[in-house]
Amino acid sequence: MRKILPYFAGSRLKGILAPLFKMAEAVSELIIPLIVAEMIDNGIANSDKRYIVLLGIQMIILGSIGLALSITAQYFAADTAVSTVKRLRHDVYTKIMGMSYSDYDKIGSANLITRMTADMDSVQNGINLTLRLLLRSPFVVAGAVIMSFRVDRSASMTYAVIVPVLAVIIITAMILSVSLFGKVRARLDRVLISVREYLTGTRVIRAFNIEDRQVEEFRSLNNGLTALQKAAGAVSSAVNPLTSTVVNIGIAALIYSGAVRVNAGLLTTGAVVALYNYMSQILVELIKFANLINSIVKSLACAKRISGVLSTEEHKPNTNETASAEGYINFKDVSFAYDGSSEYSVENISFEVGKNETVGIIGSTGSGKTTLMNLLCGNYKPEKGSISIDGASVFSAGFEKIKNRIAYVEQKPLLFTGTVRSNLTMGKEDISDEDIVKALRAAQAYEFVSERDGGIDCEVLQGGKNFSGGQRQRLAVARALCSKPDILILDDASSALDYYTDAKMRDAISEYGNSTVFIVSQRTSSILSADKIIVLENGKMEIGTHSELLKSSPVYREIHYSQFEEDEAI
Amino acid sequence: MKKTTFVKILRLINNHKAALVFSFVMTVFSVACALYIPVLAGRAIDLISGKGSVDFSQLKPLLIKISAFAVSAGVFQWSSGLINNKLTLEIVRDIRNTATAKISRLPVSYIDSHPVGDTVSRIISDAEQFSEGLLLGFTNLFSGVLTIAGTLIFMMRVSLRITPVVVLLTPLSLLVARFVARKTHSMFMRQSEVRGRQTSLIDESIAGKKVISSYGSEKYFTDRFDEINEDFASSSLKAIFYSSITNPSTRFVNNIIFAFVALTGAITVMATGAMTVGGLSCFLAYAGRYAKPFNEISGVITELQNAFACSERIFDFIEAKESENTEKPGVEITGPKGQVSFENVSFSYIPGKKLITGLNLDVAPGSRIAIVGPTGCGKTTLINLLLRFYDPDEGTIRFDGTDIRDVPVSSLRLNYGMVLQDTWIKTASVRENIALASPGATDEEIKEAAKAAYAHSFISRLPDGYDTVISDASTEISHGQKQLICVARILLTNPAVVILDEATSSIDTRTELKIRNAFNLISEGKTCFTVAHRLGTIKNSDLILVMKDGDIVEKGTHEQLLDMHGFYEQLYNSRVT
Repeated sequence: MRKILPYFAGSRLKGILAPLFKMAEAVSELIIPLIVAEMIDNGIANSDKRYIVLLGIQMIILGSIGLALSITAQYFAADTAVSTVKRLRHDVYTKIMGMSYSDYDKIGSANLITRMTADMDSVQNGINLTLRLLLRSPFVVAGAVIMSFRVDRSASMTYAVIVPVLAVIIITAMILSVSLFGKVRARLDRVLISVREYLTGTRVIRAFNIEDRQVEEFRSLNNGLTALQKAAGAVSSAVNPLTSTVVNIGIAALIYSGAVRVNAGLLTTGAVVALYNYMSQILVELIKFANLINSIVKSLACAKRISGVLSTEEHKPNTNETASAEGYINFKDVSFAYDGSSEYSVENISFEVGKNETVGIIGSTGSGKTTLMNLLCGNYKPEKGSISIDGASVFSAGFEKIKNRIAYVEQKPLLFTGTVRSNLTMGKEDISDEDIVKALRAAQAYEFVSERDGGIDCEVLQGGKNFSGGQRQRLAVARALCSKPDILILDDASSALDYYTDAKMRDAISEYGNSTVFIVSQRTSSILSADKIIVLENGKMEIGTHSELLKSSPVYREIHYSQFEEDEAI
Repeated sequence: MKKTTFVKILRLINNHKAALVFSFVMTVFSVACALYIPVLAGRAIDLISGKGSVDFSQLKPLLIKISAFAVSAGVFQWSSGLINNKLTLEIVRDIRNTATAKISRLPVSYIDSHPVGDTVSRIISDAEQFSEGLLLGFTNLFSGVLTIAGTLIFMMRVSLRITPVVVLLTPLSLLVARFVARKTHSMFMRQSEVRGRQTSLIDESIAGKKVISSYGSEKYFTDRFDEINEDFASSSLKAIFYSSITNPSTRFVNNIIFAFVALTGAITVMATGAMTVGGLSCFLAYAGRYAKPFNEISGVITELQNAFACSERIFDFIEAKESENTEKPGVEITGPKGQVSFENVSFSYIPGKKLITGLNLDVAPGSRIAIVGPTGCGKTTLINLLLRFYDPDEGTIRFDGTDIRDVPVSSLRLNYGMVLQDTWIKTASVRENIALASPGATDEEIKEAAKAAYAHSFISRLPDGYDTVISDASTEISHGQKQLICVARILLTNPAVVILDEATSSIDTRTELKIRNAFNLISEGKTCFTVAHRLGTIKNSDLILVMKDGDIVEKGTHEQLLDMHGFYEQLYNSRVT
């Protein structure tokens, strides 16, 4: 919460004025029962028609003042909520964009998206409601109690009993519903997963003839959900009748104690009516208040989660590291483990790569290939050893410039809504049409792009879903080529392409320009002509050329011969 | 709102007629009790006329009466609330159960052509909103209408003269609420439109954060975000502010009504004596309450409209055309040999856009068929036809010589086992997943199957071993391991024909080796269809089907196909550069 408070700074005045205006409005409402009492006691008793009309006009004026006050308050509250959350959104977004990979992985993109959308909406709503009502409702209740005490102290003792009883009812109901609704949510998720799986697994389920079991499982989950919902509903539907009953009994008690005082000549009839009216006002406010608390509790939880994102560490380069290493790219005894993992993902990695060399990387799933490439990009910090590129140590200040010269293409590349052009330029204005076409041609993507309406300006839908998997991979390669990288990493980036297109693309890339290329692949055919091949197995490496590795590395031999039978191996 | 939808909803409610009537009666009682209280309170106040003249002997029973009515009103209100809850929740429960049971009876083509998310949202969220709308309808509409009617009756009994003041002025507050709602509707539409744009930018830029960072395009995206954020803030402010005018405005109107009632009331009391002070205070209590149900009812109407729209989406699903081939009686397959033949089969997903034409194929029991070709939908089509997820447009498919349309589908499908690339793992324990098709399997049998499928060792290393709950999304087990679990499933069912999908690059070659060994195990002595990606492995197949764009373009043995100098040869030569 402390992280969120500074965001109110720009709206401080409005944020303070909103509840104040609300209170002022509440005061105007609290005066009305007094005017009615005055009407009864002095107006009717003295048969003073003019006085009654005057009081009636006063009530209307008071109502108008209340209207003006509350509309102003609503505006201030809405403005404070919206501007505060706008600033918060901007900062959290910037924070996420600049977040380190390890923090990003830890929180997870799905959670970050929820922080930015649903949580933000909930906080905005919470701020708005708090400013509007949180102060108003207790104020009206307290005000009504105080006013009635002013009218008559001893007759108002009823309040001393009623208000705590009401508070207990509302708080108990709230606590019960929070836990029950939590259970309902969790169960609803299970029900949802059950339907979803039934649909996604429909072929398997039918092939195994287990439709009935799936339906039965859903039915029992669903019936359980209904039972939970009934329990939650029973609690929430009890609040209103209970509070009304208590207030009505309170009214009876109030009238009785009022009657005693009137009989003794200590109180007027009008005052009793006023006391009665205050009790009614309390009832209305309490109901509003109970509804409000739920949403405020919810938005507080959301604010807490957003704070969590804001308090992640800034991704800062470590300036006091320099390196004087040989070769263009140099890994020296590098070991790295992911957060929370006791085992190294890669261990004792040492190699050198010269400028414009091509390096193949091969190994089984989880052997550390992608980790190695992420370390090269400076996305994670190695626990041991040093990595340097062109003399600059990764994580040093000088590295930031080099980092932007690395292009990384993943197996499942992401395209953004926009056009092929906007996806290739990624916001950079110095990329010409020729550059784009050249990159598309090399990535074997020009043909299908030019067939579309608009050519390089053709539309790309969200996630690039109007392109096939193989086309997306080729567009991502083109995007990387467009940035004319010094280092190009293709991390299984052609897995959806057939062997023929894959080979053509690799040829085109090698002729494309001066880049040091890393090819991570499962296919030995993709890497066998590389200058160096790194074989990874459980985080440990072997290095050599294709023919060297065939002799020296059993792992490499196994991988290679599983794809080519021995007699036809090259 | 379609009339038929209304009829359908009535039919659903009709099953709960007794509960509905009971709820209505309870509401009538609770409203009557609640409305009678101000009358009693008014009478009580009249007994408090001044010093020494309070009639306690009459006052006390009156106050006890108020308390009694207060308690009864509460009890009645709660009972009707409970019944309404039960009613709506059970209606929704039944709808959901019906809808889910419906899934089995829908043709696979329906499921293929409707996004999963859409169907799920019909069964889950639409049903939810329908129930909420219905609940609000039952609760607020009943009590709202009754409260309005009851208040009118009670007010007229207290004073005929002042009632018109309330009746004539109240619609004002409704009009104000309507006016504001109409004005704000377009602002809310605009807000949700901008929110939609903002959400999709947030979605893709956060999901693609690593790509954005690696191209140094953070600023480009932040600028785009800021622009939308600014837009969203201004549309949001408008929507929130204008809609928040409703409450103060209606409150203002109510205050005016209150003032008028007080004014005319006081004058009536004074001038004619046709009304007492207690009567006036009773009247004021009514005036304060009279407007509330109007606002509630107008809220209910929008809620109900939404509920109807949601129910239409559910009904559409429940009434979708069912497949014709479900459980037709026929001769069950006994002692399957695994012979499959295609006779002049033509098939297309979209009428007029032919996919497979005139396919003839005779697969002897125990033979190995390989399917090759660029990634596409070819293999799915074959599975769809073999297992009768779809029927061919022309021609006949036979299993052991019998036309598969003359066999009950369940009996046909039991003879197939498939392990596909897109494995399907249920959210359940590993044990349940392996025994998916054989619920009677013992722990021993499950373990045996897992061992044979090279899955036992990694399963044992999972936190809870065979009791670890896994799902399609779980990251504790890799994709290849999921496939091995599917292999274990098939080992338990032991079908006559297996359909296997060779691993592509998303699985590493060593796990793949295990999968291939496991595949050899389950396909031993069986008819086996393999979707192959590595041509080196299929040379010994009895028959190779070369697929392109969904159609089978070439078929034959490895040597025959190379002699054709066609697409297969081109594919075969391109794998080595």
